[in-house]
Amino acid sequence: MRQVLVTNQLGLHARPASQIAREAQAFAASITIAGPDQSVDAKSILDILTLSAAMGSTLEIRASGADAVQAVDRLTELFAAKFGER
Amino acid sequence: MARAIVRGISVSTGFAIGKAVFVNRRHRSELPRQTIQPALAGQEEARLRAAFAAVEAELAAARDRIPMELKEHKHILDSHLMILKDPKLAGAAARCIRELGVNAEWALEKAVAELEKVFGVLDDLYIRERLQDVRVMSDRVMAQLLGTVRELLAVEGRVIIMAHDLTPADTVALEVSKIMGFATAQGGKTSHTGIMARTLGIPALVGASDLEDAVNDGDLVIMDGVGGRILVDPDEDELAEFNELAAQFEDYQRRIYRGCQLPAETIDGYRVHVLANIELIEEVAAVLDNGGEGIGLYRTEYSYLNRTDLPQEDELADKYCDLAAIMSPRKVIFRTLDLGADKTIASFGALEEANPAMGLRAIRFCMQHPELFKTQLKAIARASAYGNVSIMFPMISGLREVRRAKAKLREAQEELRTEGKRFNQDMPIGIMIELPAAVMIANLLAEEVDFFSIGTNDLIQYSVGIDRTNPHVSYLYQPLHPAILRSIKQVVDAAHQAGIEVSLCGEVASDPFCVPILMGMQIDCISLSPQAIPGIKRIIRQARMGECKALLREVLACRTVGKINRLVRDTIFNKYPEELTFFASLLDNDDLGG
Repeated sequence: MRQVLVTNQLGLHARPASQIAREAQAFAASITIAGPDQSVDAKSILDILTLSAAMGSTLEIRASGADAVQAVDRLTELFAAKFGER
Repeated sequence: MARAIVRGISVSTGFAIGKAVFVNRRHRSELPRQTIQPALAGQEEARLRAAFAAVEAELAAARDRIPMELKEHKHILDSHLMILKDPKLAGAAARCIRELGVNAEWALEKAVAELEKVFGVLDDLYIRERLQDVRVMSDRVMAQLLGTVRELLAVEGRVIIMAHDLTPADTVALEVSKIMGFATAQGGKTSHTGIMARTLGIPALVGASDLEDAVNDGDLVIMDGVGGRILVDPDEDELAEFNELAAQFEDYQRRIYRGCQLPAETIDGYRVHVLANIELIEEVAAVLDNGGEGIGLYRTEYSYLNRTDLPQEDELADKYCDLAAIMSPRKVIFRTLDLGADKTIASFGALEEANPAMGLRAIRFCMQHPELFKTQLKAIARASAYGNVSIMFPMISGLREVRRAKAKLREAQEELRTEGKRFNQDMPIGIMIELPAAVMIANLLAEEVDFFSIGTNDLIQYSVGIDRTNPHVSYLYQPLHPAILRSIKQVVDAAHQAGIEVSLCGEVASDPFCVPILMGMQIDCISLSPQAIPGIKRIIRQARMGECKALLREVLACRTVGKINRLVRDTIFNKYPEELTFFASLLDNDDLGG
């Protein structure tokens, strides 16, 4: 489990959500992203969108399965890099 | 008589006669809903998976064909691809087949309905609207399931493409050499379809709301891009008539094209500079081909639309520098963002305004979002180092606005200096004159700037207080209304008194009936869509300044727009009878004008 902060200006809109889902789908592990009210499937762009996570939200990434650690690492990197936004 | 006549908005002129082929249409028939035996669930699931895979392959291929200039479209396609792979859609539909024992179409419908419920309750408007993307994707999968997908590459001969709406994904998937025209039920004047069609030089109609009801796949149709209509299943006489018209049109096009690189100079030696309005950098080829002497209006909104984040300075500067360099030494006038009203950016959401056309838009919007504005100003300033670049601010209503906008530009330039980036310190600064308030104080504004550009589309609407897309009052949209003519003249005179240039960039500039009057006022430049340049240049080259001035005097003496329109039409039509057959004029609805 790792905590991440949404730091890009627009929050988890379609482009970051699509990046997360694409990366997540490359892992065998099942990965979830949890907000304050709900926990969603990181492999689903639609699920991620429903989090409506704005800039400044704190989320938790959890994974279980063979490559769980790598999966969490990779997704954490995406958040840290602000999904390529400045 | 044709079986039906469908009307639409012409966004690209010309004629085409051919077979109609629908690439997509709104589902009109009931979906087949069946329960299935558990033993057949596996087979039904496979059919569903195959449909998803087919759409995915189509999209992935389209994505690879997207040219660099349309990078924005790539992001849209990326999200669409992820939606197709989403377990919440494909997975949920498959589960419905297994658990509820329904066929694939019904299962997909249920999965979409479930998502509609989930998204419908979200507060975030932008995210709620992503549902539209889900629908676009599920419609395509549904078409696969129903077997209503057209393999365009397999289509025999040349066709007229019809659709409910054409998305960038659809258009890049088409093989352009087979297309003679486009028609869509949805869409407006600025839709992607129009840009595409004008680039290809084929006719296009959008907003033809009856299209899907009136036209069947395979119907023979005549597309009249001059009159804005489609004749479905025409008779022999109509075919003969339009064959003849199409031939004349081609001949006329060839003739005007021949002289389009010559300067727009009247017989008695008065020169008008003819520039082009563009929205996409890829239109530059059309500008040069059609004899455009520069870009009089680069609408910069496109890079901000159809995406969820904001373009950064480097991204914009890349694009702007390219444009400046390609056009150099020809002029490029960048109009700063005219967002707000009908064009909003996702990241700012839509404001709840009762009357957005009079709301927070254009320069007002930019002033409220100084960071957004500065990013663009810096990018434009950077482009000024690469060519003949000018900048202009839209929707200026008073002196203070101009001064504040100029101060913002200076700030942006200072930052560039600190960062060691090059720019032209003397980049000309202009403003759009499109509000009656700006007309009234044009002499004061002229002291602040290097040039004026009169935006007649908005000026007319704000002057007579109408929205011309409102059919109840659109008859009042009259470019030659005495008030409009006096306004334009006042602005031109104020500019010349102050010794600055004045140009005009509304649709009036491409209207053959209006241009001679503008010339009589001694307008310096006109800026119009690239495709209209050859025809207008030819009209200018056959004119005499003396005649234009005489016409202007006569027109200014008239008291009603009806009288002006009749006078202008008779005068111009007598002078250029054959030229005018293929021009659609703004003066067409003058009979009701006051």
